[in-house]
Amino acid sequence: MARVPGVSDVVQLFATCLGDLVFPDAVGDAETLLREAGFRVELPSRQVCCGQPAYNAGHHAAARRVARSFAKAFSRSAPIVLPSGSCTTMVTHYLPELLGVEPYDVWELSAFLDSRGVELPRRNEGRTIAYHDSCHMLRELKVSGEPRRLLERSGATLVELPRADLCCGFGGTFSVRQPEISLSMADDKLGGAKGAGAEFLVTADPGCLMHLDGRVRKVGGVPVVHLATALARGVGAAAADGLAAR
Amino acid sequence: MSGAAKLQQESGSFRVIARGKLNDDRIQGALDLSVSRLRGLRLDAWEQLDDLEALRERAHELRMRVVNDLEGYLAQFTQALEARGGHVHRAATPEEASAIIVRLCQERKATLVAKSKSMATEEIGLNAALEAAGITPVETDLGEYILQLDGTHPVHIIAPAIEKTKEQIAAMFTAIEGREVPAELEALTASARRQLRQVFLDADVGITGCNMAVAETGTITLVTNEGNGRLVSSLPRTHIAVMGMERLVPTLDDLSVILRLLARSATGQRLTSSTTLITGPRRAGELDGPEELHVVVIDNGRTNLLRGRYREMLACIRCGACLNVCPIFRKTGGAAYGPVYSGPMGAVLVPLYVGLGNAPDLPHASSLCGACTEACPVKIPLHELLLDLRRDMVDEGSAPRWERWAFTAWSFAWSTPLGYRLSTRLARLGQPLGAAAGPGKVWGAGRALPQLARRRYRDRPRG
Repeated sequence: MARVPGVSDVVQLFATCLGDLVFPDAVGDAETLLREAGFRVELPSRQVCCGQPAYNAGHHAAARRVARSFAKAFSRSAPIVLPSGSCTTMVTHYLPELLGVEPYDVWELSAFLDSRGVELPRRNEGRTIAYHDSCHMLRELKVSGEPRRLLERSGATLVELPRADLCCGFGGTFSVRQPEISLSMADDKLGGAKGAGAEFLVTADPGCLMHLDGRVRKVGGVPVVHLATALARGVGAAAADGLAAR
Repeated sequence: MSGAAKLQQESGSFRVIARGKLNDDRIQGALDLSVSRLRGLRLDAWEQLDDLEALRERAHELRMRVVNDLEGYLAQFTQALEARGGHVHRAATPEEASAIIVRLCQERKATLVAKSKSMATEEIGLNAALEAAGITPVETDLGEYILQLDGTHPVHIIAPAIEKTKEQIAAMFTAIEGREVPAELEALTASARRQLRQVFLDADVGITGCNMAVAETGTITLVTNEGNGRLVSSLPRTHIAVMGMERLVPTLDDLSVILRLLARSATGQRLTSSTTLITGPRRAGELDGPEELHVVVIDNGRTNLLRGRYREMLACIRCGACLNVCPIFRKTGGAAYGPVYSGPMGAVLVPLYVGLGNAPDLPHASSLCGACTEACPVKIPLHELLLDLRRDMVDEGSAPRWERWAFTAWSFAWSTPLGYRLSTRLARLGQPLGAAAGPGKVWGAGRALPQLARRRYRDRPRG
């Protein structure tokens, strides 16, 4: 159904640090999707980062210092949408306790779009796609059906990865503390995508994307695309840019 | 010399051991096969429980009830077991526990000890202590027996020899028996049976672990699949059970809750083929069972866990489910975590036993994917405990100074939008240097470095 924008249809977009700095096109795609769905998108100018890198490494004082910027940047008057599963988890599960504040109305992009019954143009008609669950989305946010449904609504044929439950090996600082294990996990994930016959591997988490795409650009493999890009422009358009990931 | 297993490890050792395992295709295949199989069996078994979540909640609750009044339940257990003619010994350290057991063996002039599988005896390094006293311990669990022959340690708390292939084991058994033992499961178990039968009959003392004890009745429980635990605990004249001090449930009814979860979570079985409940030694008029039963209760750092939020770790029932779902364990096996406990439960437990400074790799030997927490039948939030341990490392100063400095500097820069703008502008200018050293270099060895976009999203014109 077509939506008529109204005052209640304002959303605040949190680009996240990785989105802002490394994957700005994916953030733009997220904004496009929200606009197409009839929302007025605000990009609060004081936003920085949720503090997760420090939090997950055990540096709570540093995490708190950065997380405060989130509390200053975002209002409680409209939903906050993020094109990142792990940052969403940080903001919903850990940030309120870290700062001693009330929870925010925070949504991972695909969960938000799916919950609003958004219709999507069939930009992935004829494409065979595997979706990679990021661990935070799968286990903490319990968002796994939503991105798959959206990809299917965009015309894609979905193939399941073998052992979709397995982490891709990013894990923040884990990726450089245990690089050999991390890479081996990435190779399993990429090998699984290839074996499943996927033309593209889609993920909704910039962390997984940076890790898996970095591996593909080093040794080749199934191109990895952010979910927002896949839905807003189609995986083919992303590939035509020669910039699968960004 | 102390016989205790060395749980302490050097910084960086996890990565070194992991690298060795990653480079061995045979081990990689064996690990994946074993953990995938065990995981699948658990999931199937869990699916057949229609009250799974309620059961897990109940198990968590009753285990925490014990943990929250551990001394009370231990006193009740001791009283009940002694009323049945058993003896309870308390040991604060691995050395003390081994010394008690060595003394019990020496008093009985024992020269041969039959053992069934027990991670608690691994924890106290019992075999080394017995050998040092001239007593021969023989492992009778097939996996543990193989490792004893091999001179190595268990790499999985439930399936200790998963890194060994049938062919390797067949070669070992062929050498011992002096006749060809084919690399088939039945032939291998038949061979082990021939090798071990006489040990059961000749052993002066049988030593077992204790999966769970019942405070109300003084009962100890052995959960095994090979029946060896039953032989070890009934044929020799003396039975010594080694038990971690937290392995208690209040009542027999509570035991049934744990048993319903334990075998299902470990091997996907509703019950193991031998689940043995032992309440005291042989009584007057009975034909079977040992003349004496001693239970050695070990602390070894567990009391430290009773303070603070890590007490939840004491609810662990040692089923191994967290190992089987862990993507890191699937790559490394158990050795990287140390000689006894491994996988997520080991990564939490070992630093708590030996101190964070003595196991600095373990809290970080995880991508925090949370699969362990999801798989834990008693609902221990394992990955959150790992996060807590990381925080403790920072707070008590065992995190590297450069790391603290880097996160502090970063956090001040990113505490304001202006600082963020300036620091990321600088980072973009310095980007070519990023691959030269530090984390950038490590990252870049196997992955293309992320490129900072020419224009941050916030700086783009928006419609």
